[in-house]
Amino acid sequence: MAGIHLQMDPQWHTYWRNSGASGIPTRIQWDLPFGVTAGDIQWPVPRKMPPDDLTTYVYEDEVVLLVPLKIANGVAPGSLTVKARVSWLECKEQCIPASADVEAVLSSGRERLPSQDAALIDTWESRLPKSGAGLSAQAWWEKDASGDLRPLILEWRTPEPASEADFFPDASDAFEVQGATERLPSDASRIRLRKAVKKFQSSWPHRISGLLVQKSGNQQLAYEVTLPISAATEPEPAAETTSAPAATPGGTVPPSAEAAPFSQPLWRMLCYAFLGGLILNVMPCVLPVIALKILGFVGEARNDPRHVRMLGIVYALGVLASFLVLAGMVIGVKAAGHRAGWGMQFSNPQFVVVLIVLVTLVALNLFGVFEVNPGGRALDAAGSLASKPGTAGAFFNGVLATALATPCTAPFLGTALGFAFTQRAALIVVMFLTVGIGLAFPYVVLSWKPAWLKFLPKPGAWMEKFKIAMGFPMLATSVWLLSLTPAYFGRRAWWLGIFLVIVALAAWIYGEFVQRGRTRRGLTLVVTLALLGGGYAWAIEQQLNWREPIQAAAGEGSLKESAQGIDWQPWNPRAVAQTQEEGHPAMVDFTADWCLTCQANKRIAIEIPSVRAKLKEIGAACFLGDYTRFPDDITAELNRYGRAGVPLVLVYPPKAGAPPIVLPELLTPGIVLGALNKAAR
Amino acid sequence: MKRAIAFLACAGLAAAAFAAAQIGQPAPDFTATDINGKTIHLSDYKGKIVVLESYNQDCPFCHNQYQTGAMQELQRDLAAKGVVWLLVDSVNPHNSSHRTPEQARKEQADQKMTLTAWIDDSSGLVGKAYGMRTTPHMFVVDKDGTLVYNGAIDDHATPDHDPRTANNYVKDAVNQLLAGAKVSITETKPYGCGVKYGG
Repeated sequence: MAGIHLQMDPQWHTYWRNSGASGIPTRIQWDLPFGVTAGDIQWPVPRKMPPDDLTTYVYEDEVVLLVPLKIANGVAPGSLTVKARVSWLECKEQCIPASADVEAVLSSGRERLPSQDAALIDTWESRLPKSGAGLSAQAWWEKDASGDLRPLILEWRTPEPASEADFFPDASDAFEVQGATERLPSDASRIRLRKAVKKFQSSWPHRISGLLVQKSGNQQLAYEVTLPISAATEPEPAAETTSAPAATPGGTVPPSAEAAPFSQPLWRMLCYAFLGGLILNVMPCVLPVIALKILGFVGEARNDPRHVRMLGIVYALGVLASFLVLAGMVIGVKAAGHRAGWGMQFSNPQFVVVLIVLVTLVALNLFGVFEVNPGGRALDAAGSLASKPGTAGAFFNGVLATALATPCTAPFLGTALGFAFTQRAALIVVMFLTVGIGLAFPYVVLSWKPAWLKFLPKPGAWMEKFKIAMGFPMLATSVWLLSLTPAYFGRRAWWLGIFLVIVALAAWIYGEFVQRGRTRRGLTLVVTLALLGGGYAWAIEQQLNWREPIQAAAGEGSLKESAQGIDWQPWNPRAVAQTQEEGHPAMVDFTADWCLTCQANKRIAIEIPSVRAKLKEIGAACFLGDYTRFPDDITAELNRYGRAGVPLVLVYPPKAGAPPIVLPELLTPGIVLGALNKAAR
Repeated sequence: MKRAIAFLACAGLAAAAFAAAQIGQPAPDFTATDINGKTIHLSDYKGKIVVLESYNQDCPFCHNQYQTGAMQELQRDLAAKGVVWLLVDSVNPHNSSHRTPEQARKEQADQKMTLTAWIDDSSGLVGKAYGMRTTPHMFVVDKDGTLVYNGAIDDHATPDHDPRTANNYVKDAVNQLLAGAKVSITETKPYGCGVKYGG
């Protein structure tokens, strides 16, 4: 055992291994003879220096830093010179860095002989912290974080009552345990402390280490511990638990991916994934595709059953293939160290542009402007669709259904995806495929049992009209998607509309003169392609400049929609915490322009007179978290509630730090009013 | 300030004043006087990126940044890009590291600093409003007045490294802002000497 003896002038101090808010730990660089290795510095228990907000951990007067030296077996007996360069920072009102070269001669031999400094080393060895293994010490988060501060509870067994107790944390780049300590009441045999942890990175620590320090009588005891931090392992369960309606089991999930335990069995999550996929079929974003599928079924109903079954399978494959691509994207994004979320491709303006063009073309196709199957004739469209529907069409329908489904989450789906996004790659794939199976399920079943479609009228001329009628919901989808683009392109979004007109013109020329024309078909094809190419180069590349979306404007002030509207403020966690501190309830709506479920919720259950009145009555503050452009902080917040996407509506009770009520994905006025009432009580 | 204190008092924690400047929130505005007697408000610089540096040349961590010339280089580099650099000296007048305006002007010239202003904050008001804990302790405010970085100058917490070989968080943050990107590292643990606030 070697020791470095530092002696400080009165009131000057050097620092512990965690210097605290300022300062720097003393360092030792060894220069050792062959065969000798130095272990880590063993730090005696430091003194905690106030104030609370600038706590440092220091040694005053003197300290001996102990370092175990290990001499390899093969080293010949004799004298060994050990050298070290010691650098430290010494502070009082000023700080002075200093260093010194020290050396000592070590005699190695067969006998164990105490050196002349043995007594000093013994003294300081007795001041080292003991192992805390026998204390059954525990650490757990008291509750969720408010901003980047989160209260942590530490508890350990004490053989005798302690007059003082504290925790001296180790240093970390990722987080910092604040200086202030609060002793909490506990039974006499245990010590319980509350410390605040501030994080510097996105995730909360899972483990904490440092010294448990207590004073019993005149004796100071310190124990070295490394503790896993559990989400909540408090012996007596906390009185306040997150109340989550039936649709969102799981309640509060620890914020970081790694910490998310298998709090729900996998089979249940798979059930949710399947149910969620199933319900997704009737969510507003997928509804337009239903039109396409109804049409398909009507045509297929009288068809060869084997062919119909085959189409059902192909449709399912289209859905599954798309979900595999999505799963791959999520895994890729996660591997690249970013946060992934459901519907995140909608934050990519180029994806939105391509989807708009695609959906517009589908609408034009339904209107009969042009055909997808080469050689098909407009008047025959319904007939040909019935007699020879392309497998490619069925596959495409599957892909389109998935692409349009992603901005929605459905009941059960939110929970399932929130779970999936925190899992390993293989599980992400399994979960996504299960959602896909759910989405495709009704159609596969129906294609197996076309008899169940007997209630639909017989195919006939009405189908052509129905097909055209179904073009309108598709056109509406396109307009909805178009409404998202000003967020990315500002006024330039106009040019996308111009381009759509050019695309429509090209589609018409193609359908009328190439597909149905008799002469000069080659020439008109060239005209079509030239229109498309020119339109793209001019409107999309030059004018829209679609590779350069504008920057998101920072939201400030009220986001009120109308004079009587709810007075939405831009969401931030501290403002929510402050509202709670001030004794007001708060409602938080995480939403996105592209999230139709969110918009539906808002129209049906949030921006309505009864809810507005209730909010006013209970004095609630309202916060809007805009997820349109996929900001990281909101992704993190969604993850905290085990969700991977919007909508997420939270209602916070008017009590500091109280966890929110998590509302289900689909809202009714009753659910919202009920939650507000409950929170206000 | 009020928000932070209210929250922490309720949580039963006393770390109050030092959670004041929050990332993503408007940086606390202040009224202060520089060493030439000029009145400075943060809001004067709306539309420009602002760097705040808590400073004490007698602190070896600051000293290291300056005696290697690294800090001056960063100041020159950022000034050329139109960035405002405010040095905040919060050392109380009774501390031997306190600089009178005259001494400060001389130090600024001797050290060849490129500053928009050297704020005489011997009252500690600006430092405390931002929760400056150490010298150095750096803050970056974007053009809209939002705080986008709070923490250490670089990732090498010693008083004797070559700062040019370290990863400078302020440089990264400002360059990301200038490139129109989001600041990737918004908060780090500041290192250095304690700020010598008065009682």
